Amino acid sequence: MGFHFVKRDNCPLWKRCLFYLIAVVAALGIGALVLLSIGVDPFEYYYQMFTMGTVNNRIAYKTFMNYFKELVPLVLTSVALSLAFKMRFWNIGGEGQFIVGAISAAFVAFKLGPVMPMWLTLVVMCLAAMIVAGLYGLLAGFLKVRFGTNETLMTLMLNYIALYILFFIGETKADWNFFLSENSARPVFKSFTDLASFTSIPMGEKFELNICVVLTVVIGALIFVYLRHTKQGYEISVVGDSMGTAKYAGMKVNWIILRTVFLSAALIGLAAAFKVGTAGVLSTSITNDVGWTGIIVAWLAQLNTVMIFVVSMLICVLQHGSTVAAATFGQVDSSFANMLQGIILFLVLAADFFIRFRIVIVKKGGSNNG
Amino acid sequence: MDKVGVITSFIHNIVVYNIPLLYGTVGEIMVEKSGSLNLGVEGTMAVGAIFGYIFGCYANSLGLGIVSAFLLGALCGLLFAVLTVSFQANQNITGLTLTTFGLGIYFFVGNGLKASGWPAMNDYENVKEGFEEISIPLLSKIPVVGEGLFSHNIFVYLGILIAIAMWWYLKHTPMGLRLRAVGENPGAADSVGINVKLMKYIHICIGCGIMGIGGYYMALNMSGSFNSSCWINGYGWIAVALVIFANWSPAVAILGTFVFGFFNTLRASGTSLANAFPEALGWLADIPTQLYQALPFIITAIVLVVTSIRNKRGSSGLPAALGLNYFREER
Repeated sequence: MGFHFVKRDNCPLWKRCLFYLIAVVAALGIGALVLLSIGVDPFEYYYQMFTMGTVNNRIAYKTFMNYFKELVPLVLTSVALSLAFKMRFWNIGGEGQFIVGAISAAFVAFKLGPVMPMWLTLVVMCLAAMIVAGLYGLLAGFLKVRFGTNETLMTLMLNYIALYILFFIGETKADWNFFLSENSARPVFKSFTDLASFTSIPMGEKFELNICVVLTVVIGALIFVYLRHTKQGYEISVVGDSMGTAKYAGMKVNWIILRTVFLSAALIGLAAAFKVGTAGVLSTSITNDVGWTGIIVAWLAQLNTVMIFVVSMLICVLQHGSTVAAATFGQVDSSFANMLQGIILFLVLAADFFIRFRIVIVKKGGSNNG
Repeated sequence: MDKVGVITSFIHNIVVYNIPLLYGTVGEIMVEKSGSLNLGVEGTMAVGAIFGYIFGCYANSLGLGIVSAFLLGALCGLLFAVLTVSFQANQNITGLTLTTFGLGIYFFVGNGLKASGWPAMNDYENVKEGFEEISIPLLSKIPVVGEGLFSHNIFVYLGILIAIAMWWYLKHTPMGLRLRAVGENPGAADSVGINVKLMKYIHICIGCGIMGIGGYYMALNMSGSFNSSCWINGYGWIAVALVIFANWSPAVAILGTFVFGFFNTLRASGTSLANAFPEALGWLADIPTQLYQALPFIITAIVLVVTSIRNKRGSSGLPAALGLNYFREER
């Protein structure tokens, strides 16, 4: 007796959902065991984490406002990455594209903010961030198309080059460096809240919804339509499925790759502009790791635009919730969220396998002819 | 400090602070030669570092620290192998998640332990003594370079030894040849009777174990002081870059480690060099440190582009099936 795996053609939806549910529950179970082993009640901890401490909290609206601040860049970045991933272009340069976008947005705020009305400054910030980030991504895309340079490794290198440019700006005190505050002897980023800041829509008594949240939902809907119902979206999925088919069908594959990579990187730049325009200041940790987390989110969501919104919201709850819970449970570091995130993805990857393949038991000797 | 002393300590620092890169690189070369691109080097090194350090201290034994760093690193490799080799998961995603996961464990365990009592390296005699420098007789007496190159802790010698052994293994043994076959064309390797899955499992685990030792070395280099920034501090990513720079050869990786290490050390020692030789090297003090930090990545980016332009078949060490999963039924 032995067994081997055979590809399934189609797994019914309920079965898929069941597998993923099992994976997530099992991951939370493993997390609970870890918590138990250090003497923390997992139910209490998870309760704090998933409610983000908002139950019976008078300033719960603040928690939600902060939550949305973290959510917007993550959703946009994940949606952007999913565009490239659909085409099997491994853009893992989200961090770098985010950083150059953020720097460009801040540049515009400082240089044009004083001479332009705020709304125009914000629009130009977004455009500048999109163009610069888009070009930064396009560099890897161009090298891939022209010379076949491995885009995974190339975008990875570009991440760190961008990161050290940001460090250079943030740590160098000099006359030319208008990014830093003049009032401090130590290098500190200067705030530009008075020059450019996205407005919020008041809702209810205290809660304010940042305009970026609305814009993000609109962009998400547009991308959904773009991927599902336009010729360009169709071209992306054909290139992703089979480069050969796309070529044979007469598509300009190189052009499609370049176009999509630019769009992907530009959206990440937009995410950066939203982040910078909301925070009103640069920081060396401006990305909050969305370039990395976005990859996990996009993959967990199976590159489905609607699912990306759902998964991002959950991942954001994990991250934000663990920070909140760390206040109550001193012995549980907020890095617990990263660990849990990892376990969830590992188990979902394993579940994926059982969705794509089924196990076939074979009698002895029957497995050699595969 | 006298001028010769500055040069000697400069050479010494290049070796001491950058051999961890060699561990990461050689480990990753082994993994990549089996056709798997593991982007989890940073996380694997972090896991090896934290557990190697903690177990080493508790057992008061450097050897046990090395063994546990290796085993925990190998465990990360096993996780990667189960998911990518058996479960056919995407290698990029699995590797990146391994990094997130590994760094999560690192901070979770580290910060958790810090709250209840962090083991200080100085309290553990055997670990401290084991990490002290061993001078090679005669060679270490060579003026200027002797002290710099031949008076080091055990990890430096072990790292070089592993790299050379690995070079020999890949180039001159039947197993090494089979491994390269798996990385180049798993289908063909399978058809001549090589157990592709087993080969991948073994080499991913051993490679990741070697990375784990490199992580432990970094922990000891920092004297085991745990703070908000990770011990590995991006070295895992530089190792991924160095693999490309070394063209997938462990022997070239030794050279590459010194090239990358040279710039890395200039960042730390640039000022003392500039002070010792104000006329010749005074300009060093004006170069922003961030440029040195970015240089490994800039150089690798250039190497990537140049090699892809040349791209002659056979001239590159890049395994042809790198990053692709092998599924027998799809052959």
